[in-house]
Amino acid sequence: MRRTHPLVTAMAFVTMGFLYLPLLAVALFSVNDTRYGLIWKGFTLDWYVKLFHNEYILEAAWNTLILAVVSTIIATILGTLLAIGLDRFPWGKKTDTVLDVILHIPVVIPDIILAAALVVAFGLLRLLSGIFEPGLVNMIIGHITFQIAFVTLVVRSRLASLGRDMEEAARDLFASTPYILRRVTIPLLLPGIVAGAMLAFTLSLDDFVISFFTAGPDSVTLPLYIYAAVRRGVSPQIHALSTLVILITVVLIIGMERFTRR
Amino acid sequence: MRQWISMLVVLVILSAVPLAATTASAEEELRIYIWSEYMDEEKMPAEFEKKFGIKVRLDFFENLEEMMAKLQAGGIRQYDIVDLADYNMTAALALDLIQPLDHAKIPNLKNIMPKFQEYYFDPGNKYSIPYQWGTTGLMYRREKVSDADAQSWDVLFDDSRDSGSFFLIDSTQEMIGIALAYLGHDPNSTDPKKLKAAVDLLKKAKQRKGCMGFKGGAGAKNDVVSGVAQAAIAYNGDAMRGIEEDPEAMGFSIPKEGAPLWIDVLAIPKEAPNPDAAHKWMNWLLEAQTGADLSNYNRYATPNKASLPLINKEDLENPGIYPSDAVMKKLFWLKDPGDNMRILDEAWTRIKSQ
Amino acid sequence: MTKLLIWYGELTTRRNLTRRGLGYLSPGMLWLLWFLILPGFVLVLVSFISRGSYGQLEWNFTIENYKRLLGFSLFGWSADYLRIILRSVIVAVVTCGICVLLAYPLAFFICGRPARNRYFWLTLVIVPFWTNMVIRTYAWLLILDPDFPLARLAALLKLIPDGSALYPSALAVYLGMVSMFLPFVVLPLYSSVERLDWSLVEAAQDLYASRWRVFSQAILPQTLPGLSVGVILTFVPTMGMFVVPDLLAGAKYMLVGNLIQQQFGQSRDWPFGAAISMGLMVLTLISLQLYRRRSKEVDIL
Repeated sequence: MRRTHPLVTAMAFVTMGFLYLPLLAVALFSVNDTRYGLIWKGFTLDWYVKLFHNEYILEAAWNTLILAVVSTIIATILGTLLAIGLDRFPWGKKTDTVLDVILHIPVVIPDIILAAALVVAFGLLRLLSGIFEPGLVNMIIGHITFQIAFVTLVVRSRLASLGRDMEEAARDLFASTPYILRRVTIPLLLPGIVAGAMLAFTLSLDDFVISFFTAGPDSVTLPLYIYAAVRRGVSPQIHALSTLVILITVVLIIGMERFTRR
Repeated sequence: MRQWISMLVVLVILSAVPLAATTASAEEELRIYIWSEYMDEEKMPAEFEKKFGIKVRLDFFENLEEMMAKLQAGGIRQYDIVDLADYNMTAALALDLIQPLDHAKIPNLKNIMPKFQEYYFDPGNKYSIPYQWGTTGLMYRREKVSDADAQSWDVLFDDSRDSGSFFLIDSTQEMIGIALAYLGHDPNSTDPKKLKAAVDLLKKAKQRKGCMGFKGGAGAKNDVVSGVAQAAIAYNGDAMRGIEEDPEAMGFSIPKEGAPLWIDVLAIPKEAPNPDAAHKWMNWLLEAQTGADLSNYNRYATPNKASLPLINKEDLENPGIYPSDAVMKKLFWLKDPGDNMRILDEAWTRIKSQ
Repeated sequence: MTKLLIWYGELTTRRNLTRRGLGYLSPGMLWLLWFLILPGFVLVLVSFISRGSYGQLEWNFTIENYKRLLGFSLFGWSADYLRIILRSVIVAVVTCGICVLLAYPLAFFICGRPARNRYFWLTLVIVPFWTNMVIRTYAWLLILDPDFPLARLAALLKLIPDGSALYPSALAVYLGMVSMFLPFVVLPLYSSVERLDWSLVEAAQDLYASRWRVFSQAILPQTLPGLSVGVILTFVPTMGMFVVPDLLAGAKYMLVGNLIQQQFGQSRDWPFGAAISMGLMVLTLISLQLYRRRSKEVDIL
């Protein structure tokens, strides 16, 4: 193993520090005992306590969770089916490219364009039916739309690496199609499906832009709540909330690592 | 295959359960869409809930145009009470966004001061009740801006001054109105040449080193209190509350070139989910005690004559809250520009996009 | 007789396969059709209609929105919007550049660690990556606050007026953007650097190549796949980003994302917003084309 040049090491540490500076600042000031300003006035956990009494924040947390869970479930199902459909069947080269492009669209375009398109589409659909009011339903629809693409891509790459042997062997043993799907493909695919689902879940939790454009009055999510609060004037309560979110993210990541390493 | 389909169906149903749970609420609810920091956000809803058993949910906005945009995008079905300004009402009526009030449910209408019962945009309180009225002026810190300096909008617009950091207000008609007034024009003008002059003035002001951008009144007030900004355009009630934190260090003034005077009203959106509760809220709000509690908290002027005796004496005598005749002369009303709203919106996009 | 073929060990007809395949494809594709493709077309459509006095949609065909985008308006011609677009591209390019410059040392550093420690360092990089972007952005407001040492230092050096914060400013926007997108470049780059064949580097060094040539001829080409993924994952979203400029620069340093968001909010001008989105879309497609031309096809995930 080559020894790393000290300059490289130094730069790496500076870069790491740069990445963590914002997070540490938030954590630091979440325990500052003052309503305004940054002068250090003493350590306090008051702001965290206040958090749990704040109905709006608790509701925002709940909304964020529901949104993520529901959209992930639906997106994973649709995405897996789509991946199997794309990879395991002989489509012509042209069809393949078209489908591929459509799939890559949500991944590659800036999400604000997708959000704008959804706003306009929902605005018109609203004339047809009342469920398209800005609110949880719209947000779920929006999230699923970009999640499907990610799930499909992840599952498809796993499918591609699986190869045909297992399924051909099962066929040779006279297995029927549903049986193969149930007992061979899906179990082999499971790590990929889970990875895709986790990706979708985290994307939904983290999403701001799509949620911002499709949210209604009672479907505020945590990122939206924090954004609105920052525009109004940051208070240490928001720092406390943010620090908690950061900690939960860390826990989720470590959990994910443990799970995928098995 | 059939097994898969049934599994799918089960999963979809399962995911619909939490959806249903969140959309169906057994408890009655009143949804209010209002400026932030405009009432005691913990006490008032709690009091109302105790009295009427209806839960109150507050949703906030930081500027009127955003509020109008949200109403037009479906908000009329999602809120029971919305706070509008006097100059929005004509638009709200033209766009058919609000519904007429049932006066039978609001006996306390008689508490409203006569001049607020016959205001031009809604004579007879057919669609709205007045909430508070006030002014938009200059809030400043005495470290960089002296009381004498604060008598003019030069603080914000004059390049040669070093007034430290400041915020302009994130509100289309108010900001453009102030700019037009500063230039000596009619603040409600929609003449493209005069608007261009206002746009150029605001662009220049924005480019000044000290300008921190545009922010809503409440947010800017918070920044002045915390010392991040030395001056900001803020609403008088917010400013009064902010100054209380440190009266020596901060002040509020109505500059000589003129400032907006406004009345905020409450109205019920066209397809409100719970108009009955909305009427109850309005009636309760118009009670003498409630009106007084409200104004004593948020430091704005009350339109409720029954509340007057219960208002803090210092507030009644504070020219920042209840403007004297001399100050009244400097104030102007903003008007709805009707079809010319387009040109104002375009001007605003211009100002913000440099 | 319909042609039979063997597919995955099964003897079947093409038509059978197509039918089954469509069964798998349709839920997903229908969804994407309904909520991605159609809204896209609606957006294009809306960009060609006009707006009523209070922001309603008025269905008459007009190209006025695009004319406005190019600068023609009631106030005479001005390059405002074009300037914003240009600024967004510049911010994207600079952000990308800085991210790449910072990502290489970091990637090399992590590769230099013993294998079992690498997970730890990667996790350290992933944590900010998965932390919500609103939090990561507004945190800079704290760091750039007037009372914080950084702003005090700048005031001492007379770079900014005394007592003011380091935001809103271009610097704040760049800080926010770089810290936001850095992990997007580091992670793909790392996977390329990990597979680096050091023997080539050693060979170049043995042949007395200068440091720069070693890098550009031996290292860079090998890391190109990861680098290009990182670049494309950074460049395109940066152009459409609005949270960072909104929180860190308000209206003083507007980017295309802010402009679009404003039209759907305060300015109540959906058609204009749609037109700007189309403009952004065109920019995106151009950058994607350039990317495809200059690098091999790489799987994004």
